[in-house]
Amino acid sequence: MNRVLDGFSGRIRTGIHVCRGNWSKREDVLISGDYAPLVDCFRKMNVDQLVLEFATPRAGELAIIGRALPDREIGLGCVNPRTDTAESVESIVERSNEALQHWSPENVYLNPDCGFGCFANRCVNEEDVAAAKLKAMVNAAEILRSENS
Amino acid sequence: MFSVTQVGSWPRSPQLLAGLREKRMKRMSEQQFNELADNEIRRCVQLQLDAGVDIVVDGELRRDNFYSFIAEKVEGTQLMSLAEMLETVEDKAAFEEMLQTLDAPAYAIRNPTCVGKLRRRASLAAEDLRFIRTLTGKPVKTTLPGPYLLTRAMWVTSYSSGAYGDKPVMADDVVSILREELEELVDAGAEFVQFDEPVLTEVVHSGDDKRRTFM
Repeated sequence: MNRVLDGFSGRIRTGIHVCRGNWSKREDVLISGDYAPLVDCFRKMNVDQLVLEFATPRAGELAIIGRALPDREIGLGCVNPRTDTAESVESIVERSNEALQHWSPENVYLNPDCGFGCFANRCVNEEDVAAAKLKAMVNAAEILRSENS
Repeated sequence: MFSVTQVGSWPRSPQLLAGLREKRMKRMSEQQFNELADNEIRRCVQLQLDAGVDIVVDGELRRDNFYSFIAEKVEGTQLMSLAEMLETVEDKAAFEEMLQTLDAPAYAIRNPTCVGKLRRRASLAAEDLRFIRTLTGKPVKTTLPGPYLLTRAMWVTSYSSGAYGDKPVMADDVVSILREELEELVDAGAEFVQFDEPVLTEVVHSGDDKRRTFM
């Protein structure tokens, strides 16, 4: 990864997205385990932002990354792209407040855990549900901005 | 602060799925497909703007999947369904069992297998960035498959060893291709590029090969 990024620092914002699979809506067939074994790898990687899953319990504790890498930007996975209803705005705010124990507000980005349709023939969601999840994140961001400005 | 964005991909409509299939079967021209995809991306971007997101994506709507799409852009590759790859893997029973256990559809998921010397013949994502720029002045996130994912997915020994001998040699060319693309993206004014490396969790959490996924 660093060979790809060498010389690009400061010229463009770069991120890495690591998840545990997004080919099925069945949580039991996707990979499970926290980010602890990847902390050293992330630390060495010259990326600005870590775009990580945290809506699914399979991803483990947010503090594992928060304690180790508070100087990076965090793309906080705060909605599950595979479920059929949008998360509540309150739950997204709550998750983001947890992130604020480690990161400054400027460094917190809100995103789903993964894409809504990584494999064209195996999309994990439908457009209206996806749009409702985006709207929930936008509403949460508005509350978070008013609380942190 | 608290910029709202996406990881990249958006559900495909039935029309777009039909278009992707027709283009793959060479029954639809590149131009016809792009007109269809342009309209779908317009709608996808509008939905994001209506929702009020801060950083917009194009939904990867032109892509078959988030890494297989490079087969169209890189010389020396061949798009293969997992069912076709089944013919080449040594332990067919294990591969088939893995697909079933993981609930992964063998015909619907395709892989960009390396079958010759790799060379970037078209931009991977910069052209898509130029299009979405015509739709919104908001910042855009561009997504690319990471070097580890690509190297691991593209290398299928029986097809790839003729051109490269060994996987790390092919990886050098994967790195060069991604660097060329980054350079073009910077020139095109990209503000945010995200590399997708989903398999990293598998490396640390699988323990043994029993849980190796198809990527």
